[in-house]
Amino acid sequence: MGNCFSAPVADSNGQLHWAFQSLRPRPVPNVKNTDWPRTAIDHFILAQLERQNLQPAPHADPLTLLRRASCDLIGLPPSPEESQAFFDDKRPEAYERLLDRLLASPRFGEKWGRHWLDAAGYVDVLGGDNDAGIIKLGRGKWRYRDYVVISFNHDKPFDRFLLEQLAGDELVDWRNAPEFTSSILELLTATTFLRCAADDTDENELNTPDLRHGVLQHTAEIVANNLLALTVNCAKCHDHKYDPIPQRDYYRFEAYFAPAFNPENWVQPTNRNLPDIALPRKADIDRHNQSVDEQIAKAKARREKIEAETKDILFEEKLARLPETIRVEVKTAIRTVAAQRTDAQKELARDHEKTLNPKPEEIAARLSDDQKANIRKVETEIAKLNRSRKTYGIVHGVYDVGTPPRTRILIRGDYLKPGDEVAPGMFRALTQDAAEDGSTNLPAKQGSTSGWRLDLARRLTASGTPAAALVARVQVNRIWQQLFGVGLVETSDNFGVNGARPTHPELLDWLAGEFVHGGWRIKPILRTIMNSAVYRQASSTPDSPHVARAMKIDPGNQWLWHQRLRRLDSEGIRDALLAVCGHLNSAMGGPAIPIQSRPDGSAVINERECTASDASRRSLYLLQRRNYNYSFLAAFDQPVMALNCTRRFSSAVVSQSLTMLNDSFVTSASEKMADRILRMTHGPESSNPRAEVSLSFVLALSRKPAKEEAQWCAALLQRQVQRHLAKGVNAEESHRMALANVCHVVLNTSEFLCIP
Amino acid sequence: MQNGGPSQMELFDPKPDLKKYEGKVHGEKVEMFQKGSEGNKLLASPFSFYPRGQCGTEMSEIIPHLCSVADQLCLVRSMHTEHNNHTEALVMFNTGKIFPGRPALGSWISYALGTTNQNLPAYIVLRDPDGYNTSGTLLWQNAWLPAVHRGTEFSTRGAPVLNLQAAQPPPPDVQRDDLQLLAKLNERHRRDYPFESDLEARIHNYELAARMQIAAGDALDLGKESETMRKLYGLDNEITAGYGLRCLMARRLVEAGVRFVQIFPPVKPQFQPWDSHANVKTELEKICAACDQPSAALIKDLKARGLLDSTIVIWSGEFGRLPVSQNGSGRDHNRNAFTTLLAGGGFRAGCVHGATDEVGYRAVEGRVSVPDLHATILHLLGFDHQRVTYLHHGNEETLTDARVTQARVAHELLAI
Repeated sequence: MGNCFSAPVADSNGQLHWAFQSLRPRPVPNVKNTDWPRTAIDHFILAQLERQNLQPAPHADPLTLLRRASCDLIGLPPSPEESQAFFDDKRPEAYERLLDRLLASPRFGEKWGRHWLDAAGYVDVLGGDNDAGIIKLGRGKWRYRDYVVISFNHDKPFDRFLLEQLAGDELVDWRNAPEFTSSILELLTATTFLRCAADDTDENELNTPDLRHGVLQHTAEIVANNLLALTVNCAKCHDHKYDPIPQRDYYRFEAYFAPAFNPENWVQPTNRNLPDIALPRKADIDRHNQSVDEQIAKAKARREKIEAETKDILFEEKLARLPETIRVEVKTAIRTVAAQRTDAQKELARDHEKTLNPKPEEIAARLSDDQKANIRKVETEIAKLNRSRKTYGIVHGVYDVGTPPRTRILIRGDYLKPGDEVAPGMFRALTQDAAEDGSTNLPAKQGSTSGWRLDLARRLTASGTPAAALVARVQVNRIWQQLFGVGLVETSDNFGVNGARPTHPELLDWLAGEFVHGGWRIKPILRTIMNSAVYRQASSTPDSPHVARAMKIDPGNQWLWHQRLRRLDSEGIRDALLAVCGHLNSAMGGPAIPIQSRPDGSAVINERECTASDASRRSLYLLQRRNYNYSFLAAFDQPVMALNCTRRFSSAVVSQSLTMLNDSFVTSASEKMADRILRMTHGPESSNPRAEVSLSFVLALSRKPAKEEAQWCAALLQRQVQRHLAKGVNAEESHRMALANVCHVVLNTSEFLCIP
Repeated sequence: MQNGGPSQMELFDPKPDLKKYEGKVHGEKVEMFQKGSEGNKLLASPFSFYPRGQCGTEMSEIIPHLCSVADQLCLVRSMHTEHNNHTEALVMFNTGKIFPGRPALGSWISYALGTTNQNLPAYIVLRDPDGYNTSGTLLWQNAWLPAVHRGTEFSTRGAPVLNLQAAQPPPPDVQRDDLQLLAKLNERHRRDYPFESDLEARIHNYELAARMQIAAGDALDLGKESETMRKLYGLDNEITAGYGLRCLMARRLVEAGVRFVQIFPPVKPQFQPWDSHANVKTELEKICAACDQPSAALIKDLKARGLLDSTIVIWSGEFGRLPVSQNGSGRDHNRNAFTTLLAGGGFRAGCVHGATDEVGYRAVEGRVSVPDLHATILHLLGFDHQRVTYLHHGNEETLTDARVTQARVAHELLAI
């Protein structure tokens, strides 16, 4: 165990693995074609293209840039007004102003927050979510989703963002705070980051040592995968087969989280939750509610006393209807406390208790007017007491529980076979000093908390260290992945020895350097990349000798001789449909919109428990489960969140076509879109098929149809009107239905589904 | 998939010693999952065992129908697994490891074999429309295999495939015209992207969708089944009808060329159908009444149609149960021993393989692990389990991960 200490970070050639090296300045390379580059990024890309004897694609047209930037930054297509404003802006730097507008939009945090929530493994439910019919909501988890959205909108520096999420509770003495200021609340909310692993231990029968260890281990694994792009789970049982991660390192990393998730001193998840008000104020409220409960209990006793006599009379009347021989036994059985009944008594009680005990309406019918008036008084009192009950919200936070426990290596990952004790420490592959063994350097205690997670957060972003270099590389690579479909390192979730190597290692490090030196801010990096010529290339590759040659040299487009055509992600498709049909509700934040499972296996928005306008909010706000997500989103590859997800996959399976053709959400969006068009063109009585078809393209695709497209669509519109008329539908409705047919077709096009 | 943990001592693995020493404290302290077995006292089976068929395999009186196909069965009494909780053990049985996130056996088989039916998915799941199992869709997920290999849920109630038809289907001529325009617009768009296979797939999918609307209905139209057939599967009886329908649909899908069909037992009255913690006798009576006849019917029907030679039937839980009593009359989970029934497809018929100790606690002779079983199934389908690989995270992943699990083909179970 731990026998790869001698040369922990070298690959088979004795070289330090690229991902574990510190950042160093990367000179911008020279290129032959000096006209093309707009930014330093383009020098790195073009140098490689020239080396491969490839040429970049032409610049994309304004329409393409508008749709691409809009989908990439805010996850929504441009409205017709926004499109017009952009096309009309003939001044220089119109595109740069477009980026500024999109980056400043509150929609930005909703789009980029979603990427982070994936990486963190965020779901709204608490446990493993294994039963479609049962939604175990993690109360208050949504606050973290909102925290992430707001952090992205404010462009919170990423090192600070990490610090808050890993150790917000260790940054402030919240335990003794007289009030929770908004900043304390924010810091505690941030730590929900560490509560994303499935935790089923609130069910007593599942509150077992292996499940507790599982929560701790999954938490550490998610953090390592999200921040360091390392898949460390194999090192739980044995030294990593490929990466320089000895089993000892797995447990050293896990130890950072052990004071909070202490398997020997376990706190069940519901008890772990914090109030959204300071602890003394919570204690006040708890005391107040307790006294309310006592008063309610007294009031209820008074009511029972009033009813008691009547109840007894009724009971005896009913009992008298039973055969005399069993009356005494039955009565004794029912009067005996359930737990103390003999088997025979259990049976008697089961058979007779329900019928013999008088029902409330039977009692009410026998009461005197005086008694009724008294009961009304008591009930008014109970209602008043109930109203005086005070409540507070829940923060799904993380904090140290008691004194830090010892962490031991588990032999073959088995908690019944503990081995050597280890202290918290960074993966040795990421520490500069190869001789360092963290067990001698316990982090300093911070008041009533161990400070271990604080230590981890600082180590992860400490400037000049290999750990911070890896964190920065992983982040800029993921940004690149969102903007180009594939990262500079294709395996954005595995930067280990067996992951892909970067296609442009110098560019990756240059970007990571810019990120760190620019104060770990995401928006400037986005602006830099999106201003580049490589991002602004056309994605189309129409047949030509040039394309044919490029396809031979680089069919997978790893050298980026054109931008990639990308399918919208699941949320992007639903949000675009809502936007295009004019029904998107842009309200932000708050508890998740409920979804429900249906017997046919599908999951839909629970419209009985939310308003129609809630049902039209952005997909980010829909209740997110681990396994049983809203079927529409699941069809378009919204991931099952076993742990976390740093890379969405985009499939093209037949269920997607069936969904777009037949799902009532899409057919209804088509009808709403038709209605919207009719309103905009003054209704079917003055029908203008050409204008309507044109508007359907403008709304859905931000462009007017080409001549032949307009002809095809207008012809379809006419034919469908005739068909609907022939089936006895009136003229106005026939026209509306036919226009909905056209809208449905446009919404089903590949063009609508893709980021150009 | 007989989820819940069918009790081997009550069904397939007779243990006279349990009767002999009933109520005695067992010498070996058993591993408990829940509370209630602290006494470690042996519990005899309330059911009797008799030799069945030509082969004489001893099986329980409570499953008379499965007993009647004993000569087709390869009974593996020496299965073992790695976890005592349903969720993990089910994930293990279906994906080879206890942690979630790996592709299911059916996904690997779809990936390895491809499909023969262009109008239906290669891998179909038939669960009780009333609910899932404790591991949910993890049991048929493609994980990092391409999405086309994910198990597609067909419902035995209402429409078989989600969104196969619209709530208010448009008249066929209207839809056909819409689809023709769509194809024209998409072809025009594709001219700018001649190398994008996804765009091509999407165009193809709209054609497949239209064909599936007809084919799925056809394959599942039970109106074509005779009265005898409906009786065989127990469709005439309320208790067997639900599970029987799924077994019959499975046979129709296999006939239609579907590669892998996964069937789940009823989730009512018990969500974990075979999970007899409280009263082994009455709980097993209920679930056997629902599952015994249809399970046997599927084997008989496949045999009669000459399909059993080319079809593997796997009947198994995720783990077994303990020899000691839990709260008097129940049994807790047991990962150390369980029985799996195999039939057809090259498995040795009419045989018993392996054995547990005197009380059925631990598989001791001819032990077969879940990865061994997976390797053996792939072998019978014509594949070397170490050579069906998929590149993921830079690793050549396999179903069995033999370097870690030591999975091997269990040749002892094979006919030849």
